[in-house]
Amino acid sequence: MAKKSLLNSVLAGLSVVMFLVALGMVFFYAPREATMGEVQRIFYFHVATAWVGFFGFFITFLGGAVYLATNNRRWDILAFSSAEIGLVFITMTLVTGMLWAKPAWGTYWTWEPRLTISAVQWLLYVAYIMLRGSVLSPEREARFAAVYGIAAFVTVPLSWFAIRWWRTIHPQIVSSEGMALTAKMIYTLLFSLATFTLVYVTLLRQRIQLEKTRDQLAALRLQHDQAAQND
Amino acid sequence: MIEVSQLTKSFGPRTALAGVNLRVAPGECVVLCGPNGAGKTTLLRILATLARPTSGTVRIAGLDPLKAGAEVRQHIGFVSHRTLLYDDLTAEQNLAFYARMYGIPAAQTRIDELLEQVGLTARRHDLVRTFSRGMQQRLAVARAVLHRPALVLLDEPYTGLDPLAADTLTALLTDLTGAGCTLLLTSHNLQSDVTLNRRVVVLNRGRLVYDAPHTDASTFPALYRELVQEARGKKQESVSVESANEESANGRVSEAANSELRPTPHSPTPPLPHSLTPPSPLPHFLPHVWAIVAKDLAAELHTREIFSAMFVFAVLAMLIFSFALDLRGALAQAAAPGVLWATIAFAGTLGLSRSMAREQQTGGIEGLLLAPVDRAALFFGKALGNLALMLAVEVVLLPLAMVMFDVNFLRGGVLLTALLGTVGYAAVGTLLAAIAVNTRAREVMLPILLLPLLTPLLIAAVKATGALLEGATWAGIGGWGQILVVYNLLIIAVALLTFGYVIEE
Repeated sequence: MAKKSLLNSVLAGLSVVMFLVALGMVFFYAPREATMGEVQRIFYFHVATAWVGFFGFFITFLGGAVYLATNNRRWDILAFSSAEIGLVFITMTLVTGMLWAKPAWGTYWTWEPRLTISAVQWLLYVAYIMLRGSVLSPEREARFAAVYGIAAFVTVPLSWFAIRWWRTIHPQIVSSEGMALTAKMIYTLLFSLATFTLVYVTLLRQRIQLEKTRDQLAALRLQHDQAAQND
Repeated sequence: MIEVSQLTKSFGPRTALAGVNLRVAPGECVVLCGPNGAGKTTLLRILATLARPTSGTVRIAGLDPLKAGAEVRQHIGFVSHRTLLYDDLTAEQNLAFYARMYGIPAAQTRIDELLEQVGLTARRHDLVRTFSRGMQQRLAVARAVLHRPALVLLDEPYTGLDPLAADTLTALLTDLTGAGCTLLLTSHNLQSDVTLNRRVVVLNRGRLVYDAPHTDASTFPALYRELVQEARGKKQESVSVESANEESANGRVSEAANSELRPTPHSPTPPLPHSLTPPSPLPHFLPHVWAIVAKDLAAELHTREIFSAMFVFAVLAMLIFSFALDLRGALAQAAAPGVLWATIAFAGTLGLSRSMAREQQTGGIEGLLLAPVDRAALFFGKALGNLALMLAVEVVLLPLAMVMFDVNFLRGGVLLTALLGTVGYAAVGTLLAAIAVNTRAREVMLPILLLPLLTPLLIAAVKATGALLEGATWAGIGGWGQILVVYNLLIIAVALLTFGYVIEE
């Protein structure tokens, strides 16, 4: 327990340090983008949060599949925790995307494929979280969520193709092409990706720990209730 | 017949069964007693293969239900709290449906015989929803013994019955034991004929605390109360093995004795060599699928509630879109594919919700799970039933949309798109409706779960329909047709792999 706690503290500390360094790189190391100017810097957060969001949903899919195969609660906890964190990051992706879109494209929202797929993902995992809160039996909750997590994840590539073709078949009003990256930009982006991945891992460990503590608390409450009933 | 060893079942942190051991010999009739929440229903549901144990082993006629589920189900009849009957089918249709699910040869003769036995011959063509509680219970027992199971599990079968109906049920149970059937039933009625002269097993807080023949109706209720209170006390004090052994001589089972499989304290009563008839070869996959489809359509023919609701809702949705978007002329033609598919999507959620709710209402899903049927057949049966209903609505809706939007939908490519889109919709909708119906917010949960998952299907269906209406051929609609096909294959594969997890407890 003490080891775990130490590791969590180390990860949290490292995440803060790396986040500060990433901020420094984004604002002081990466060069100013010629066409879009300062607003382009949001791109480093936007891409990193999107990566972590999608990765989180992949872990949810994986955790759900293994849970169904093994019926082991730890995989369900992993899937649930990852979905929650993934949802937070995808929300950040949507917000940063809209903030970037306004000065770049002149509108907060456009049915650009990447924004659209993020919006669909967001809806899918909001539904996933709602489902988890709506099932009485803990076992059923885990199974239903696992099935939904799998179905949600496997339809994502198709959604991506459908949305991309949908938008590219018709003339596009705006285009995000032509954003060439310099070496410094690539280093900054890679560092941001690593930082956000570490933040994800840190949050995931904390969230898993929280869920385990909840389970323990529920067991203790039950014991207490039974003892009180016996008295 | 039944061998239960170290059986535990937990629901999250709550333990419903804690290391139960029980043996029931073939032909025996055992009454399971215990206060509310003792674990009686859980035990019965595990034996009926409706729930999986957390740990421990269960053998029914020497077979492991987890490994040979279908074969075990062939030997089990289960009378649940719920009737597991379909309200919108007649008594005869209900039995005929289950006869098909169990693959019973000469089913009509057996159905006639059972209806006579339970006194429902005169009401055989009446819908079950018009039956009194007692009549439904009698029919439920007929359903449970339809396939001549070697083991019948009855969960408080006397609940809600008037004295006359209770007598009929007792006579039925006596006939069953006379025929060599093994019975395990739960009861709260400690003074009735049900418990008298039977082997009585008392469960309390998931533990077996008493196991002995019950011969004195006047003293047993007092003993029972004592047992239950005593068991509560034992939770706080540790029990010595010596005193436990002493107790077991009186039929009381200590926690220590309960922790290992042992013969029941009295010698198993009836020397009934009710040898299991070898299970009839399991019926094939397709007859099960068609039985479920036919059952759903028959129920719908009696009520027409799903079709009517979907159709009226679809028409309303089309009207609202027309008003909201002021669809006229070229705009109507351009918007027609989108409006049509949005309408189908909304109406579909309504129909799927109702279809699964109908299944859930009186425990129909449990009835299906009890039958020796492949879970994939259950999925296909339900999905095809839903598909048939959705297509029936579309058959009426498309001509109406043609009139409203002045667009010719009756083209080969458009109809093929409608079929592919509806297949995918019915497949994913059936899977998610089975989930949504078990949630607290069941009325609103299905569209929330379903619509985001339908994104690729709806985009592809709208775009393909639009292109085809503009004169493109099926080959000329690009990747939209491929998306529809791949979506259907993918979602059907996921549903087949996971449907069992969704419908089981």
